[in-house]
Amino acid sequence: MKLMLTLFTLMFSLQSFGLSLDFCNDKLGRLPIQQGGRIKPLFVHAKESVKYMTGKSKVGDHSAIEAYCLLSFDSMGVENKVDWITSVQHYDLRKFLDLGDKKEASFNSLLGDKTELITEWRKQKEETSYKKALDRLLRKLQLFEEIKNGGNWKLYDKSGPTGAWVVLPDFLKEEKVLKAKDSSTNPFETVLFQSEKDYIADHGDDYKLELTFAKMRLPLWALVLSLLGLAGLVLTKGNAIPLGFAFTTVAVQTAYITMRVMISGRAPITNMYETVLFSGYAALLLALIVGHFKKDRQFIYVGLAYNFLSIMMINFSGGMLSGSISPLVPVLRDNFWLSTHVTAIIISYGALALSWILANTALIKARFKGITKQEMIEYTDQIYTCLKYGIVLLAGGIILGGVWADYSWGRFWGWDPKETWSLIVLCLYMAILHGKYTSWISPARFIPLNALAFLSVMMAWFGVNYILASGLHSYGFSEGGAIFLGSFFLAQFIILGITTKSFLDKFDVKRKVDQIQENPA
Amino acid sequence: MLSEKQFSKIERTIGGLKFAVVVILIFSIMMIVGTFFESWYGTDFASRVIYKKFPFMAVQAMMFLSIIFAAFLRLPPKKRLYGFYTIHAGLVTIGCGSLITYIAGVDGNIMLHPNEPAREIVLGEDELRITYPNEGRQFSRELPYTAFKTSLDEEFEDLTFADYYPYSENKVIWKKSSSTFKSWQSIQSSEYMISNPNVSQDFIMSLHPEATDYKSSTQMGPLAVHYLPASMSECFGNADKTGIVFWESQSKYCKTPTDYGSEIKTTKAGNRFLVIRDNDRLLTFFPDLSPWPLDSSLAPVQDTTLRIFNRKLFEKSPNLFLFGKKAAFFEEDKWTTVELAKEPVELPWMGFELTLLRHEDEKYPSQEPYYVTPIQSKGSLIKGNQKALKVKVRDKEYWVTDDKPISLLIDGKKVNIGIMKKVLTLPFEFVLKNFKMDKDPGTNNPASYESFVTLFTSNGPSSHHIYMNNPLKYSGFTFYQASYTPNKDGSYSSTLSANVDQGRPIKYLGSLLLVLGSIWHYIITRKRKKATESAEVQSNKEALA
Repeated sequence: MKLMLTLFTLMFSLQSFGLSLDFCNDKLGRLPIQQGGRIKPLFVHAKESVKYMTGKSKVGDHSAIEAYCLLSFDSMGVENKVDWITSVQHYDLRKFLDLGDKKEASFNSLLGDKTELITEWRKQKEETSYKKALDRLLRKLQLFEEIKNGGNWKLYDKSGPTGAWVVLPDFLKEEKVLKAKDSSTNPFETVLFQSEKDYIADHGDDYKLELTFAKMRLPLWALVLSLLGLAGLVLTKGNAIPLGFAFTTVAVQTAYITMRVMISGRAPITNMYETVLFSGYAALLLALIVGHFKKDRQFIYVGLAYNFLSIMMINFSGGMLSGSISPLVPVLRDNFWLSTHVTAIIISYGALALSWILANTALIKARFKGITKQEMIEYTDQIYTCLKYGIVLLAGGIILGGVWADYSWGRFWGWDPKETWSLIVLCLYMAILHGKYTSWISPARFIPLNALAFLSVMMAWFGVNYILASGLHSYGFSEGGAIFLGSFFLAQFIILGITTKSFLDKFDVKRKVDQIQENPA
Repeated sequence: MLSEKQFSKIERTIGGLKFAVVVILIFSIMMIVGTFFESWYGTDFASRVIYKKFPFMAVQAMMFLSIIFAAFLRLPPKKRLYGFYTIHAGLVTIGCGSLITYIAGVDGNIMLHPNEPAREIVLGEDELRITYPNEGRQFSRELPYTAFKTSLDEEFEDLTFADYYPYSENKVIWKKSSSTFKSWQSIQSSEYMISNPNVSQDFIMSLHPEATDYKSSTQMGPLAVHYLPASMSECFGNADKTGIVFWESQSKYCKTPTDYGSEIKTTKAGNRFLVIRDNDRLLTFFPDLSPWPLDSSLAPVQDTTLRIFNRKLFEKSPNLFLFGKKAAFFEEDKWTTVELAKEPVELPWMGFELTLLRHEDEKYPSQEPYYVTPIQSKGSLIKGNQKALKVKVRDKEYWVTDDKPISLLIDGKKVNIGIMKKVLTLPFEFVLKNFKMDKDPGTNNPASYESFVTLFTSNGPSSHHIYMNNPLKYSGFTFYQASYTPNKDGSYSSTLSANVDQGRPIKYLGSLLLVLGSIWHYIITRKRKKATESAEVQSNKEALA
């Protein structure tokens, strides 16, 4: 408190000397900070914090950095009129906060309600959506308060014999600012950037890669490119344009993933965000390779289509998939197993997703545009090709997972939901593959069954984390995915409902024979 | 015996694709149900209902048969099926390895406290352990691996084991005592609710000797609650500047030192004391130190029902005295005694109110387990986390739970009965020398944890370093770093998971066969496809020629 008062007085006096207090600008983004167990540029953390708390990339007219910086200096007397607003969607929570019809609240006013909010949260005995909404709001409020007190981020301080990471109020010592005042008209900025200089002198500037990484916005570029590739497929007859865009998409994603690996120092498959990203990328690559050898244009389409969907998720489902890079739980810190077991499983999900896209394309096209028997057989072959890769990789991935589990925990198999569901996926696809050789699954039935079977992949991939949410793999669990998964299931059932009957009526020989037998006339 | 024709029919059915599809689907459905059970009722419940039960095992056996017969059906060996044979051989090998692990494997945990030798592996199975400590005898009996309530219906010496609940919760029942008590003995019990707008808590207190589940004093945050005989409430209304009262528990009266005509004196060491005459002896009380008196030779007197009580000791911090239907507390420099009825009574602390919910002069409260389906939340059981067994001894019934063993005297013989985890004693010993935990910089999240242990074996001591993904293998056992527990003194105890898996090499071999078989199968299919294509090209060429 005493320190705060001193700084407050100092700020006031500096202002009266005509020295600038205008240091909260975008330049600060490159400062190295320690936060959440990692060293990263302030830009990345400020952007993530603003997004998390307000759901937007700016706060009013201020950029994320400006707003974050101003809030951090709030308790030290730097005046700001930035109003941090959070959305409050839950009806009961809005009622509790007396918000009326408004669906948002200002953090500054919420601070006054903090005690009441905590009391209300304590009162909730059951894990209801209301309690979760309270919980989320309280977490955001806590972060807001932490930033406001200057305690959310640490700066590199070399005033002692060795460098140390200290919070802002400890970093901004009066003597430092006064010293900087002699040589600079913006002493606070000088002091803050001294931390950058000191850190780079001691540890190099590798951390700046993350700044470039965050500023390049490669996922958005990849989205546009894959969309252009899809447009190329529709609008042009030749392969040159779509392939061109497909390769550029791959190049952009390779750059994005490589940078992510360099920053995090581990295989790019440790959370939902990364697995979705990687599966889209791997599936596009796989589709391009298979398409090249099969000389089949359809694979460019399916690769781009799935890649487009996965990048859509990366770009626009911030609430469900967090792109933030954070330290791993100890058991996952093994790059060999991560890059073999998880990669195999994720590529297999990608390959199975290709078969799912093909199946749905065939069904929708047959229903609304019509396809020939020959085209249906071609679809079956293409789906089968994707399935082969998917199943072999999945089986390999499961075995590798067993070996890793044996190596880390001393057991191959423990009926943990994540591993059980990966086995369920394998079993369901194996049942389809075995059934394909019986009279039960004709080539025509094979297609809707594949669209349906992909729901098991979604369950293993997202459902275990978002719906089952228990067991040893709890480190990947987060909220908000249940609605996504529910909608996905619903959409798939609607597509199947609309298309399957006419599809089978047209192509399923056995059904035709039965119908003729029933109505010989 | 089966005829060759019958066997061939069975072989064709079991080795057939349709059988495989059906079995795989049943297996998948069971697993789907299993994962949902696991999510709702916990891992243990799912294992007890599905994963480790006969139907699930039987389906796996069917898959096993299907795989074997499918290969048999395709004999004698054909070159194009070499990959297929290898895949199926791999699956069968994995199955055999898993079966060996299931039958002979050991899987448990060993907890290492700093610098304490440890050699016991706690296994997953529960057992009932009966110990006669005076005779040095011990017996154990495995408890059934069930998810539902069941009756053991088994006798052992004087004991009968009746109902067993693998998942239970306790409810309070008020019992009538079978013993008789003297009229002056206080055996009352009461149930109260203490609440303010934010929290509320029910609690039961008892003076009954048989109410072993309940105490006569408790601490609720800073508030100390004392449950005393009803007649003692008088002592709190009795005004006396000294704050000292005498209480005669048999005749149930309260007196002040003045009533006894006794004067408070101070020892050289500064302790207050007073002396009173009790019939023909003198009793010395030190009211600030102990409620019991001392005799003339300063030895504690046991055979008196007279106690001393210094109220001043309870005025500095929040103390609530409950006497059944009355309560007393110190408020605004004076002691207040209140009557408790159905209406809440305000207490002087943080807006708390006290309500008497039930009072019994003779009946006593007892916790009785009842079966519940467990409920899991956030990875741990929030309901049903107790195993309970009813034990009958002659006409009396007792409940043994896994967190509360019982101790009985049967015809003068002491018997301890408890539900515990099975234990395996190692032929060697561990000592945790050091436990190291690294944290992610600037946070409290562990980045890694490592145990430095010394292993004492017949070959002498040796040092080892066990950490995540780096287990210790010794004498068939493998020890993995599993978790840790912080101790009060700031040190850490380390938990290692310990197992013996004889099936391990077989499972690895099976996995290898499976992977190689898949590759082989793929190569053969490709070659055959190419051969067919080139044959087609050839025949087209010939046709054109």
